[in-house]
Amino acid sequence: MHKLLDILASGIHDAKNQLFIAESMIAASEAAHGIAMGEARYAIESAANRLSRTLTAYHLMRHDAAASVTPTIVGDVCDEVMLAQRKHLAEHGIALSVDCQVFDEWPLDRDLVTDMLNNAVQNAGRFAGKAVQVSATTDDGWLCLRVDDDGPGFATLPPATGTGLMVAERLARLHHRHERQGSLLLSNQGALGGARFELRLP
Amino acid sequence: MTDYSKKRFLVIDDQAQARDALRTVAQQLGAFAVEFASNYQDAIFRIRNNMPDIILCDYVLGDGRSGQQLLEELRRFNLLPDETIFMMVTGEQSYEQVVSAVELIPDDYIIKPFSPDKLLLRLERIVAKKLFFAGYYKEKRQQEYANALAILEAARDSEAGRPYRFEILRQRAEIFIASGDVKSAETAYRSILENYEFPWARAGVARSLQKQNRLQEARAEIDRVVASTPHFFDAGDLKASICMAQGEHAEAQQILDDIAKKTPRNYLRKRLLAEAATLNGDTATALAAMADVIANDTMPGAISAEDRLATARSHINAGDKITAEKVLLGIRDSELQQMALMEQASFAALLAVSSVDRGKIRFVGLRPAMLVTEFNSTTRLDIMRAALSLDDHQLADLQSGQLMAGPDAKKVFGAARTLYALHGREKDFREIQRQVALMRIKHEEDVAPDSPATA
Repeated sequence: MHKLLDILASGIHDAKNQLFIAESMIAASEAAHGIAMGEARYAIESAANRLSRTLTAYHLMRHDAAASVTPTIVGDVCDEVMLAQRKHLAEHGIALSVDCQVFDEWPLDRDLVTDMLNNAVQNAGRFAGKAVQVSATTDDGWLCLRVDDDGPGFATLPPATGTGLMVAERLARLHHRHERQGSLLLSNQGALGGARFELRLP
Repeated sequence: MTDYSKKRFLVIDDQAQARDALRTVAQQLGAFAVEFASNYQDAIFRIRNNMPDIILCDYVLGDGRSGQQLLEELRRFNLLPDETIFMMVTGEQSYEQVVSAVELIPDDYIIKPFSPDKLLLRLERIVAKKLFFAGYYKEKRQQEYANALAILEAARDSEAGRPYRFEILRQRAEIFIASGDVKSAETAYRSILENYEFPWARAGVARSLQKQNRLQEARAEIDRVVASTPHFFDAGDLKASICMAQGEHAEAQQILDDIAKKTPRNYLRKRLLAEAATLNGDTATALAAMADVIANDTMPGAISAEDRLATARSHINAGDKITAEKVLLGIRDSELQQMALMEQASFAALLAVSSVDRGKIRFVGLRPAMLVTEFNSTTRLDIMRAALSLDDHQLADLQSGQLMAGPDAKKVFGAARTLYALHGREKDFREIQRQVALMRIKHEEDVAPDSPATA
């Protein structure tokens, strides 16, 4: 019944297993020879994330995607985005900072939200001058996760959307709670003077 | 930071290359002692013999087993202390769906590929959490439930407890279940649902209601869970048990048949399937399921006397008393002596049914105890069956009266009626039913109308 999906999922699963073996070998070499190959590992993880996002996009097009919501510490999500992106941005002269003002657990799809933020930070990094900031606040019962940059802002609003933004927009809407539904807001009113990517989750 | 050189790691994966990769990553954290397990049995063996501090377990273990099944079995057999870290490792994004739904979850899971830094971040987080709950774990292990609850209450209101708000609520509900305070458990799960519609919390409500014998409400709750999260198999098991309690044995068997096909090596579920099939009169399925359990459930100590009693019972249902007798006589004397009174009563009853010569003396010897002891419905049914075949009307009628007055009345009604009919005593069975109904009406007149006893 889900033959195509099964083939895609199992192919992606195998590819990610292989990528993990490659990454672990690189990590071992780094330790053994005292060399830094963070960018190679970054490329491997980006490739794996891209594969996962493709599968998610496919689920979204089939309308059988669902958020897997678990209680998540918001600060942990911010820390993981920082860990995944900071060094890579630094290579390009961009400083990534995090400002998390949410201290409670929040029910959200941890993996998908982390991926959306990672993707947003990558996008921001392409246009930023020197700085990208991830921040988390609450506003009237909403969790607001923002990625701001100091670049020129979106040329048009709404911007022409690629897979990443399409996925983010639809995934935000999969978050439901007490009649409320999540959303994605893109604007040029960022705290750093450039573009702002904002997820609002109930 | 934690000193990982002093921690014992266990890496569980059926693929050699993946095991090496996990060991490499663990070594980057400073890990020195990293053991391997290449399959399910090996993993259980190592965990029982030398409890690791940190388990890194792949989700796909091959041979029809998953890391999730391993985790569930370790928790159910109490082989995994709360202090041990269990981290599921997976290339499958779909594992997140499992974690968001089910009741038994690992400390965390991590999706491949990942860097040593990311694993470190995740492990440090778990260490901090386990430190926060350390006092609670200790009280819980010693079954000091009041103390455990007091610690959770204090944690809930503390600043340090803020990041663990849901975990505290979840643990609190589980303690209520474990301590038998099912009404409070229901309230606790409902308060979690006010926050968010977690499938595991809704299943918790259903479980609490079932234990209060509020079956219709329990059924409505679990139907919602099963409909929204079909991959939450334990919810299916719970639904099947509720169906059985409601006397809907065909539906129970259908549910368990479907899930068991997807989880062919889950033997707890196979046992439940055998129970449902027995109640449903499908002796062939019951026998096949129990034969599978006894041949293949290699969890040490998993095959209990109860399993052999269940098998013998199925043979009797199939009319094969000779094989039933053989199964019963296969139970060693030392095992018999270790049986609780309830199992001994079932054993004596089943043996008396299979072979009057061999079983009658033992059965008669236990008779005084059978007249006064509280047994579960399965054992009562066994005793009733033996008493009917030995023409011991007093004992048979006592058991059937207790069964019809008890919470499992709907569950065993069909089986009890069939047995009475088999001995030409339908009229007597109807009379027992009438007496029980009269008693119930009298009881209801005596207590307030909103008492749960009327449910």
